[in-house]
Amino acid sequence: MEQQFKIEIKKGSTSDTVHFHGNIDSHADNHFDDLIKSVSKRMVVFDFSSVGRINSMGIALLLRSIKSLKTEKGAEISIQGANQINTMLFKMTGIYLLAPETKRL
Amino acid sequence: MFTLSRHGRVICSQVPQASCNGFDEVHEWPVLSSEDKEEIISRVERIIEGNNEHHEFLRQRAALMLDEMLENALYNAPRDLNGNQIYAKGEKRSLVSGEKILVRCAYDGERLFLEVSDSWGKLSPEIVQGYIAINLAHDTSTDRAGRGLYFMWKFMKDFYVNFVPGLKTSVGGYLLLNPDTCEYGAT
Repeated sequence: MEQQFKIEIKKGSTSDTVHFHGNIDSHADNHFDDLIKSVSKRMVVFDFSSVGRINSMGIALLLRSIKSLKTEKGAEISIQGANQINTMLFKMTGIYLLAPETKRL
Repeated sequence: MFTLSRHGRVICSQVPQASCNGFDEVHEWPVLSSEDKEEIISRVERIIEGNNEHHEFLRQRAALMLDEMLENALYNAPRDLNGNQIYAKGEKRSLVSGEKILVRCAYDGERLFLEVSDSWGKLSPEIVQGYIAINLAHDTSTDRAGRGLYFMWKFMKDFYVNFVPGLKTSVGGYLLLNPDTCEYGAT
């Protein structure tokens, strides 16, 4: 059963953690507009531990949001919790060049 | 019919290197609307029995490949007379009269054969080679065309495109349970 995509943002004292849930594809498009508006900290962690599949459209959405957060908000973004295939996609598409992988505490 | 070398060059051939010949059972599922995509992906995931990390990684790759192949057939292949895309990605759509999309799948415990055919015949060797070339340039362009095809080429062994202009495109290849050390999804 496909899980409905959603984004949850947990505000910490020094960083915002963005939890993605479900598959990231063309249906996730609208959610990413809100993401840019909602993030307020300079340090941002993208958590993919509840993400299923990310297709090429999802990769484009992630690249766009990472670039927007960096340029519009001066954010430093890191990534955690990606599964094996998504880790490979992030390496292949340069996402890790913009937002390096970090280990969860 | 053409395949792509590991350097992204087109190799024309009469006979596909990958096929479902030799598999005990071949599954064929017609796609009637965009709503069928998730159900077909689930069916293929269920065919890959086994609970170790290799099986799980094969299921992850199979789901991604089918997603990309079906998105291509549903949204990238349909073009109007000017070559413009007819349907937007994510839009719910049913196939129009005369349009066909077929998924073929077979698994022997080591290799998963996947093929998706559509009745548009728009994916020429030049287009595919162009997409692979721009995706081989390792920058981080956001909306790069052909990224899904690039993923297929990277992950599938003997990835091929069978193309009859205006009539049919078939895209397929194998996913391996235990990929080679440096190719087809090996880490």
